[in-house]
Amino acid sequence: MLRLRATFKKTGRAKYISHLDLNRCMLRIFRRSKLPVWYTEGFNPHPYYSFALALSLGFESDCEIMDFNITDDNMPLSVIKDRLNEVMPEGMGIVDIAPQKNKITVIAKAEYEFDLKADDVQGVYDAVEKLLAADEILIEKKTKKGIKTVDLKPDTEIVSLEKTEGAVHMVMRLPAGTRTNYNPTLFVEALRKSCEIPFEMANIRRTGILCENNEKFS
Amino acid sequence: MNLKEKIEKYLMDVQKPSRYIGGEVGSIVKDKNSVDVSFAFCFPDTYDIGMSHIGMKILYSLKNARENFRCERCYAPDVDFEKIMRENDIPLYSLESLEPVRDFDFIGFTMQYELSYTNVLNMLDLAGIPIFAKDRTAELTQIVVAGGPCVCNPEPLADFFDIFILGEGEEVNLELMDLFNEMKKQGASRLEFLRKAAQIEGIYVPQFYNFDYKEDGTIEKMTVSENAPEKITKRIIKDFDNVFYPENFVVPFTEIVHDRVSVEVLRGCIRGCRFCQAGFIYRPFREKSPDTIYKETKCLCENTGYDEVSLASLSTSDHSQIDEMLTKLIDYTAGERINLSLPSLRVDNFTEELLEKIKKVRKSGLTFAAEGGTQRLRDVINKNVTEEEIMSTCKIAFEGGYSSVKLYFMMGLPTETDEDIVGIAELAQRILDLYYSIENRPKGRSPQISVSCATFVPKPFTPFQFEPQDTREEIERKQKLLLDSVKSKKIKVSYHDADVSRLEAVLAKGDRRLCNVVYTAWKMGCKFDSWSEHFKFDVWLEAFEKCGVDPAYYANRRAEYDEILPWDHLDYMVSKEFFIRENKTAHNAVTTPHCRQKCSGCGVNKAVGRECFC
Repeated sequence: MLRLRATFKKTGRAKYISHLDLNRCMLRIFRRSKLPVWYTEGFNPHPYYSFALALSLGFESDCEIMDFNITDDNMPLSVIKDRLNEVMPEGMGIVDIAPQKNKITVIAKAEYEFDLKADDVQGVYDAVEKLLAADEILIEKKTKKGIKTVDLKPDTEIVSLEKTEGAVHMVMRLPAGTRTNYNPTLFVEALRKSCEIPFEMANIRRTGILCENNEKFS
Repeated sequence: MNLKEKIEKYLMDVQKPSRYIGGEVGSIVKDKNSVDVSFAFCFPDTYDIGMSHIGMKILYSLKNARENFRCERCYAPDVDFEKIMRENDIPLYSLESLEPVRDFDFIGFTMQYELSYTNVLNMLDLAGIPIFAKDRTAELTQIVVAGGPCVCNPEPLADFFDIFILGEGEEVNLELMDLFNEMKKQGASRLEFLRKAAQIEGIYVPQFYNFDYKEDGTIEKMTVSENAPEKITKRIIKDFDNVFYPENFVVPFTEIVHDRVSVEVLRGCIRGCRFCQAGFIYRPFREKSPDTIYKETKCLCENTGYDEVSLASLSTSDHSQIDEMLTKLIDYTAGERINLSLPSLRVDNFTEELLEKIKKVRKSGLTFAAEGGTQRLRDVINKNVTEEEIMSTCKIAFEGGYSSVKLYFMMGLPTETDEDIVGIAELAQRILDLYYSIENRPKGRSPQISVSCATFVPKPFTPFQFEPQDTREEIERKQKLLLDSVKSKKIKVSYHDADVSRLEAVLAKGDRRLCNVVYTAWKMGCKFDSWSEHFKFDVWLEAFEKCGVDPAYYANRRAEYDEILPWDHLDYMVSKEFFIRENKTAHNAVTTPHCRQKCSGCGVNKAVGRECFC
């Protein structure tokens, strides 16, 4: 049996597919592909596949990760990739397929990029700098135990911050995986509290699922 | 900002945004410059409901199969998105090209239930298309059409539509679009097109027909203009086994009501239950061969990736080759790990072998439509089911491991007495007693008998089209009587809102004077009337009042046999004489055998020019 890890993209209109719907969508993709995908052996057998990290509704990505198994050991990975790509919805596609290397628990962070669109780009840029320079970035996060106040500051890594035409463009890394998960919208909410200038968060994209040492998870 | 950007700007603020952006697998996007005629197929309810409709799937694929035609889908936006659309000038648009519906040549609605009428008006308004047909441009564009079961009496919608398409759409839709294409090239006007279209069989152009009323409110006479036919006959497909069926469905991302492959196995019904409109308007009975059904099932499962199939029909067990069909299907679906579901199975020809086969594929509840609580009432409505048959089927089911049964009944049927209502509770009790009397009944599980009680709605083109509906007070009294008659906690009773059924009756049997009421009700905020959270009966009553229309005239009055009914000019191939005969037979509590046993002369064989069963 081939234990495989696919990197796939979810872009354009496909970004409106919720995580729950993505599950159903992938089931139908596998069925349409007619690949010898491994089925679970329980009371209700279904094709086995598992997503490494849920992607928020409305986010684009070309680095999503899904594990699944193929029962035919001799099937070339390129064939599997092509057959899946033939039956994917618009905006989705397999970027790469490789054998599973690391355990899912190795995932430590994710990288996101987004725009903060505003008329007053400089104003928003200054507000971001000011927020990043603060001692702490407190936000309220919903957890299973209720609302909790957390400090984003120690876990936020800014990769880049720049002014573009009509927007502030940011790339940041946040904790992700089985332990802590921070969504970039949390940072933007904190910004909204400290910034009086109106802006709009747009073009959100996950650009990487990473290990602790910033290497791409594979 | 183009329309797509405008839509996307707000999509994250609405529930289930994938309903509003298209891009689903199986959707067909064509270049608008490469086709001659465009058709926006609108379903007057939300995506989740409309996407489940099999007729839309058929006609969507059929039209798009023609190279020079383009058909795109459109559904009613839910209230949250509608608000955003109105605030930000986003017009109603189609999902394939995200193009305003107002730019299409045809805007077609399927009318599946009366309580979707206000949604049509709301969608036309959102599209920026004049609501009344008389206010539309003289140019040949924006032809607003409707089909579906409700157009067998489309009079309450007559002022809003240019064209009604009667009967089955597979041929006539293409004929209509071809005519449009031809006349558009000639530079014809809207009126010239409508005149010509009215000559196509099955096409009803309501503005060419005028009604005068007597003092008592009934129809005095109908006058026809523009050389349109006096009678409009519905269309049917003669060779049903070879009729077009889609090779692919649009596969939604979000979950919809019927999220599976459906394959139509037969059309029409041999039964003739006297309350059932579908049983008459879809005649004659025609079936697909097991081979065709198998091929269509396999093709659709492979192309969509669905792992569930449902067989669609009015009564699947009336298929003459049901055993062969199910054997073929179960062989395939079991091998491919596909679930097969079989709705619409009748009590009386439910054999042990059939149950065995079904048991292999599903283990959900059993549902029986008994409709009447006593044998006398079941004879009145011609539901040819006896208590022994219900009991023997339940016995087989209980012995086969079932412990819950769902029973459907109707309340307010013609000739109904309190005895019939109490009879519902008694029948449920006897089924429960039967369960406990069976030695090898399922152990460790509590049985449940669910009794679901709808209110009878008299419908056009049925033997009960002449009948009044019970008043609201009477229905509520009967509902209470039923509740009081149930003695066991294992029998659960549910019933429909009497007001909903009342509005259904008014709209189903209504004439053109109701157009104004529908318009007024919509103007006053009525929409999504079939959704209990949106249904505003008090507003409807106000609308009736404002328009000077008495709902009781339509719902609670018995029509005379010789009265001109609002739908008498429409020919659904079953004669009025037959309905009168059947109505009289009903009042004598005498049954009529089903079509395979004996032809009862409904007239459809004469209309089609062949015997239904040879």
